[in-house]
Amino acid sequence: MQLVSIKIGFVFLLVSLGLFAPLVLMAGKAKTVRLFAISLVVGSNIVGCFVASQCFWRESGAVIDLSRFTLFPFALGIDRLSALFLLVICTVAVPVSIFALSYFEKHYDDQRRRWVWAFFSLFLLSMVIVVTASTGFAFLIGWELMTLLSAGLILIEGDSAERGHNVFIYLLMMHAGAAAVIAGFFLFLPYSPGLDFVSMRTASGALPTGIRTLIFVLAFLGFGTKAGIIPLHIWLPRAHPIAPSPVSALMSGVMLKTAVYGFARFAFDLLGGGPWWCGYAVLSVGAVSALLGILYAIAENDLKRLLAYSSVENIGIIFMGLGTSLIFLAHHAPVWAGLALAGALLHVFNHALFKSLLFLGAGAISSATHTVNLEELGGLQRRMPFTGATLLVACCSIAGLPLFNGFVSEWLIFRSFLGGAVLMNTRAPIVLLLMVGVLALIGGLAAACFVKVFGVAFLGRPRSEAAEHAEESPFAMRTGLGLLAAACLWIGIAPGFFLRPLVSLVQVLVPGAGVPQETLSIARVIPWTAAIILGVTIIVALLKRRERVVRTWACGLPGLTSRMQYTSTVFSKPIRFVFSSVYKPDRKIERLPEDQPYFPVNVTYHSVRTTSYEKTIYRPFVEMILSWAHQLRRLQTGNIQVYLLYIFLAIVSLLAVLRFQP
Amino acid sequence: MKFAINLAQALILILGAPLVRGIIARCKAFLQRRQGASIWRPYSDLAKLFRKEDLVPSTASGVFRVVPCVLFGTTICVATFVPLVQPSALLGSRGDFFLLVYLLALGRFFLSLAGFDGGSAFGGMGASREALVSSLAEAPFLLSLVAVAVLSSHADIAGIAAWTLGQNIFNISAVHILAFTSLAMVVIAETGRMPVDNPTTHLELTMIHEGMVLEYSGPSLAFIEWASAVKLHAMLALLIALFGPWGMATSASVGAISVALLLYSAKVALLIVLLAVIESGVAKLRMYLVPDFLGVASAVSALAVIFTTLVKR
Repeated sequence: MQLVSIKIGFVFLLVSLGLFAPLVLMAGKAKTVRLFAISLVVGSNIVGCFVASQCFWRESGAVIDLSRFTLFPFALGIDRLSALFLLVICTVAVPVSIFALSYFEKHYDDQRRRWVWAFFSLFLLSMVIVVTASTGFAFLIGWELMTLLSAGLILIEGDSAERGHNVFIYLLMMHAGAAAVIAGFFLFLPYSPGLDFVSMRTASGALPTGIRTLIFVLAFLGFGTKAGIIPLHIWLPRAHPIAPSPVSALMSGVMLKTAVYGFARFAFDLLGGGPWWCGYAVLSVGAVSALLGILYAIAENDLKRLLAYSSVENIGIIFMGLGTSLIFLAHHAPVWAGLALAGALLHVFNHALFKSLLFLGAGAISSATHTVNLEELGGLQRRMPFTGATLLVACCSIAGLPLFNGFVSEWLIFRSFLGGAVLMNTRAPIVLLLMVGVLALIGGLAAACFVKVFGVAFLGRPRSEAAEHAEESPFAMRTGLGLLAAACLWIGIAPGFFLRPLVSLVQVLVPGAGVPQETLSIARVIPWTAAIILGVTIIVALLKRRERVVRTWACGLPGLTSRMQYTSTVFSKPIRFVFSSVYKPDRKIERLPEDQPYFPVNVTYHSVRTTSYEKTIYRPFVEMILSWAHQLRRLQTGNIQVYLLYIFLAIVSLLAVLRFQP
Repeated sequence: MKFAINLAQALILILGAPLVRGIIARCKAFLQRRQGASIWRPYSDLAKLFRKEDLVPSTASGVFRVVPCVLFGTTICVATFVPLVQPSALLGSRGDFFLLVYLLALGRFFLSLAGFDGGSAFGGMGASREALVSSLAEAPFLLSLVAVAVLSSHADIAGIAAWTLGQNIFNISAVHILAFTSLAMVVIAETGRMPVDNPTTHLELTMIHEGMVLEYSGPSLAFIEWASAVKLHAMLALLIALFGPWGMATSASVGAISVALLLYSAKVALLIVLLAVIESGVAKLRMYLVPDFLGVASAVSALAVIFTTLVKR
């Protein structure tokens, strides 16, 4: 009975996202029709949440096999790993859709609104297909659809040349990544009867070591491109900020996670661990991504670009957890491997929640003030108290502070580093233990970054006319923001509820992982900590009541203006100064008029980061390919006899190959 | 009984904190040939502030009003993690020192936000400098804790204290010395003492902590000041629990506990004198030399961690 209802729910999710909602949207123009379609999207995602949580908490599954109707094996199935990621998609999709209800209404005309909702619904479907696919073809179809639909959603906002260029780079990087993923799948073929996950899993034992390593590397590069690890991240800060905010929320919050899903599926489920050095490689790439990502984020003043770089950081943290888990797996310490994997997977879920909350918040800010430039914001907390409160929750969560969900996952990863101490007589302990310091530095910088975001945007005086007259977000937006913030707090204060099924999932992926003791110790102490902090906070708040509103202290001057506050650029200055070797800034100061250098009327200041991956890595690579292409052009003489000779030589060599083949 | 002692420990940490501040001020006065105020002065300061009203800047939002409460709440919570007279604490579990470090970060996060809410330049300045110091201090803080945790094979503060208690006092390893050095440097940076920050000045060129709290007055300021006193006391107690717990009560008898309490007071007094000597002896570092200071702390703590793998092998 239960199985049947799960299956019906799953089919409903697929059909209503893929068929009903787009069809209804295209069918009628009336507002009620559109509202019906949108409620269909929201409703099917709520159903999806139930399906996923049933599979995640109760360990049941569902399979839909369409292979009889398609040319190639196409089957969808939900196992525990899929259930977690399906839960991520549907949990985030519900509040994002509710938010988008008001956001799309405000920003688009009728024609575009229908298109954007249709694409939105199909984009959700493509991600559902990716995480529930149980054959290689289904996975790749979903993977490709996901890329194209998200590019379409970016282009709905406009098609200027710059936007077109950014989308081009996005598509280029995605297809390079997809090529690696496809190659990874096809390398299984000589050893496995088909490309369904079950036979691939059984075949993985028979793979020769070289092929195994190659598959691992290809999967890491392919999924790493999608996830945005440095230096494959260049598309991310280009594509995410220019999408409509609800779409950015889905791209950063959910789409990046499908890459983590793919990597976890390959590395843990299909291959069951890689060569001994792979864990160290993944760990160090993750650490570099996280550290550089957060350093780039601090230096940004455009809120959405800042958030995009912070996604690079969080993906880095997730890969640090995955890498640690692989190290323990290679050294036969499954308990600790399980703990690290649980931390990484929990961070996947947490990052989905708080990053989509932050992007939605950026959308709410841009709806209210028409800018996401931090230097033009300020004082929004008094004007948008609810939006501000939810974003404060998001900032605390992403900074990994206790009582918020980011801390729980980072704690698990920290704790697993400490477990490196049990691997004496290998080279693991020093690396893992020192990683505690690296992750602590990342956490400290993340806290600094999000103090800046919230402090500059929401506190103090407004820095522009638009921020001065900002108004609280409409009800639908507040509902979306509130739901996500509540989820962040829930996992942050009572993580036990979520950790238990996560432990069972980890035990499936890592045979022999019995981690409950370690995970439950955090679940025990966090609620008490929360009780003490909240109790004392409330008592103190009740104790102090009398207050008088006065002017801010201005050293006896008549008054302060908003120009006297610390700006976003100045706030990050000390950190940019200390890490200047990372940015290599190019600074220009212009004082006008030029003949009075000591009494300038107008001072302009420019500071640009000159470290560029495009220039140092991608440009030489592209030029190399172009020069090869140039050499190959010599084959094209334009003479038909020469082309006939080529054909003849090709046939002869093919015959020769066939003749001498053993 | 054990629970009662744990509760008493936390209360001593919280209620005794202003006294620690008072004694430091008195010691510094002595070293500087001044008469100095009474050691009970911080208590009367707090009492005076509690009788006053709160002055709130006109630009301030709810965040400004919540911050003193949250800061006090998190600091009280930190105090419940630190063992004092017996090797156990009110709260605590495996891996609790990560929680302790991040609870301090939570308080600091909110205090930095409060700096912005006044809408003046000083608050943002303090927050910006605090962001630099705290983001660089977190790594050596955790690494030195990890070093002693690995050495003792315990992942909770009380467990580490209990293990160290069982060791011979003359048999300490290099790890202890390195980790202590690094943690002591971090304590100085975290609690805003010289040479990183000067707690007694309001000069805009130098202030960090005072910059963020400049707009506060009355009970709010009292809670912030009390919280920072508790933080200082808790950090000193943490140093003692990890690196010099000898004398802690292993049984719940009255005699053992009173001896432990006396010894604890003596150890705190020793650290206070040390702090006063450092504060009177060195000049405040230039802002951009603070990263070097913390860099040394990080290097020392990394060495401590590397040496654990040699000692344990």
